[in-house]
Amino acid sequence: MPKCTINGKQIEVAEGTTVIEAFMKLEQNIAHYCWHPGLSVAGVCRMCMVKVEGNPKLQIACNTKVTEGMVASNEDAKVKEAVEWILGFHLINHPLDCPICDQAGECGLQEYYMTYGKYDPAMAEKKVKKKKVVDLGPTVVLDSERCILCDRCVRFTSEVTKTNELSIFNRGDHAEVGVYQERPLNNNYSYNVVDICPVGALTSKDFRFKQRVWYLKDFNTICNGCSTGCNVKAYYNENGFYRIKPVYNKEVNGHWMCDTGRDMYKFVNLEKRQTSAVKNVNGTSEEYSPIQATREIGVLLRKNVNEAAAVLTGQYTSEEYASFFATMKDFGIKDFYHWVNNPEKMEEFDGLLLRGDRNPNTAGLRAEAKKANINLRNAKDLDPKKHTLIIVAGPEVQAFYPDLQKSVDAWSKSQTLVWLSSCKNPVLFAAHWIVPMKSFVEKNGTFVNYKGIEQKIKKGTTIVGEALSLDEFAIAIKGERVDVEYTSPLGGLA
Amino acid sequence: MSRLPEPKVNWYLPAIFTGLGITMKKMLWNLGNRSKMQTLNYPEEKYDYSPRFKGTHILTVKKDGSLRCTACMLCATNCPADCITIIASEHPDPTVEKYPISYEIDMLRCVFCGFCEEACPVDAIRMGPEWQVAGKNGSNFIYGIQDLAYRPQLKGGIQTILDDGERSKAGI
Ligand code: SF4
Ligand code: SF4
Ligand code: SF4
Ligand code: SF4
Ligand code: FES
Repeated sequence: MPKCTINGKQIEVAEGTTVIEAFMKLEQNIAHYCWHPGLSVAGVCRMCMVKVEGNPKLQIACNTKVTEGMVASNEDAKVKEAVEWILGFHLINHPLDCPICDQAGECGLQEYYMTYGKYDPAMAEKKVKKKKVVDLGPTVVLDSERCILCDRCVRFTSEVTKTNELSIFNRGDHAEVGVYQERPLNNNYSYNVVDICPVGALTSKDFRFKQRVWYLKDFNTICNGCSTGCNVKAYYNENGFYRIKPVYNKEVNGHWMCDTGRDMYKFVNLEKRQTSAVKNVNGTSEEYSPIQATREIGVLLRKNVNEAAAVLTGQYTSEEYASFFATMKDFGIKDFYHWVNNPEKMEEFDGLLLRGDRNPNTAGLRAEAKKANINLRNAKDLDPKKHTLIIVAGPEVQAFYPDLQKSVDAWSKSQTLVWLSSCKNPVLFAAHWIVPMKSFVEKNGTFVNYKGIEQKIKKGTTIVGEALSLDEFAIAIKGERVDVEYTSPLGGLA
Repeated sequence: MSRLPEPKVNWYLPAIFTGLGITMKKMLWNLGNRSKMQTLNYPEEKYDYSPRFKGTHILTVKKDGSLRCTACMLCATNCPADCITIIASEHPDPTVEKYPISYEIDMLRCVFCGFCEEACPVDAIRMGPEWQVAGKNGSNFIYGIQDLAYRPQLKGGIQTILDDGERSKAGI
């Protein structure tokens, strides 16, 4: 275990650690573009220059291993001058179109220019013009002029997804990132290249021009796209959610997330949501406040206790299941069903992150049922004729439930079908009651992933003020008072 | 809220007569020197503001008459009254790339501070010399692209001094 000194601070690191990793461990700032902790070392951007004592020349920290007694620093004036020149070279052909660039505000070039900018550029030649708005595939757009050829995106497709769509073509100042003919960048992890691109060369088609990044606020939560439970950051403002990005978690998702998970924000915005409770009788619909509706359902439930059933999906938090089960048992309900979207694909795995079980908390549902001594039966065996009242805690992401319509139609043969849903969907109007639910960004709780790791989701904001969580539903159905807490998207200015 | 303190003196007549005296003096002076009077008979007479007066906004146009604005939203970010709303979109020409499909200023919320003009990196918004923004009850004071760039007073649009297309061709 070699010991070294970084910027005057001592640290002992494992054999084979690079100097830049030692910098990171000590939380020392060091400029870098091409090095990424989730990828191999390329050593092409030359930004990570350090001075190693006893060595006449500056070295790059990302491709130098720590040796016993090494003394390295990037606080030297020589280092600063070198990095200034390197950044100047990176910007020789840069188009400087920050005003229209989506990366502006979170761009590596802008960030380092504050410290290492030359401010009075010495370049007098004309700029080399390259292709702009290059369509790389269904998700990503390339701007060759902004690219600094750090090679991160290329290494991502060759090392992580192993799909090798991207490559660097041509030489010198004509070098450009691109895809091969008729082989677009089209894999389920493509948006990660947008995240790792340190500049605005790769932009996401989904997010392009929707917002400037400084208008967005964010909070950390867990993706509800599948049972892996990737750690993510959700970005939003008062108009809704705009994007989701991965957050590093060694145990769960590493540095990445899949493109399926990137869509999860689309199911929480107001235009997709069920905003009030609805009672459908004989082809007419009546609107109710969710709590009032739940109380009426409670009255019905008391009358039908022996013939009632509850159907659950793995899309709610463990806390919600616990309180729902407790309440239902108090009522005396005996029949509980587990609705699985795609039973044949439950065990599927794409080899990286995405799992066939597209529910974030199947494990949590099973665990809570076990704790409450409840035998969850398969929803396929549910006979609507036997039950006069069925309460379905429906899926939040309905797109993952191909048998949604079939199930609603089948179960609506029961006398009363109560459907709890965060999204609106005309299909649901076959149900007799629809109660609006909170989405995963509007409540606190726990998701248990496929491995049994418990992870907390966080309430970031309120989108549908009146929507209930499953535990609030469980309180209201008893006829008790519920205090629905409101968090303004503007941050406490409710 | 605490109450105002009781006035120390209850005599108000002296103050009233002092005030009336000043008014009288000014009126008599004005009657004697009508040419030096400070007030104007607006709207028949209008004041000549300096050419740098910050009045109603103008969105400048390029040589081909299209909007100069790149929809970078820096003006909207800088606006203290939060009265600029821009919706950006993809321009069919990749060298332009981004442009506003909707650009609106709520003139009634604008405080005419000129911060938008200062923030704009490409001389796309200017504050012009017009200062009479009149309208009947219920008029639309949310100005869109048509009003801001192509209102009749601008005679087809004010040209920008900074054309990216030309700069790009010159290799800048
Ligand atoms: S890549 Fe960075 S520096 Fe370049 S235009 Fe985009 S934000 Fe500006
Ligand atoms: S596109 Fe971005 S990630 Fe790829 S080489 Fe260029 S700068 Fe690096
Ligand atoms: S003048 Fe000031 S208040 Fe008016 S639009 Fe511009 S920045 Fe906003
Ligand atoms: S007017 Fe200027 S600052 Fe405002 S969006 Fe357009 S280009 Fe940007
Ligand atoms: S980070 Fe070391 S050379 Fe790029």
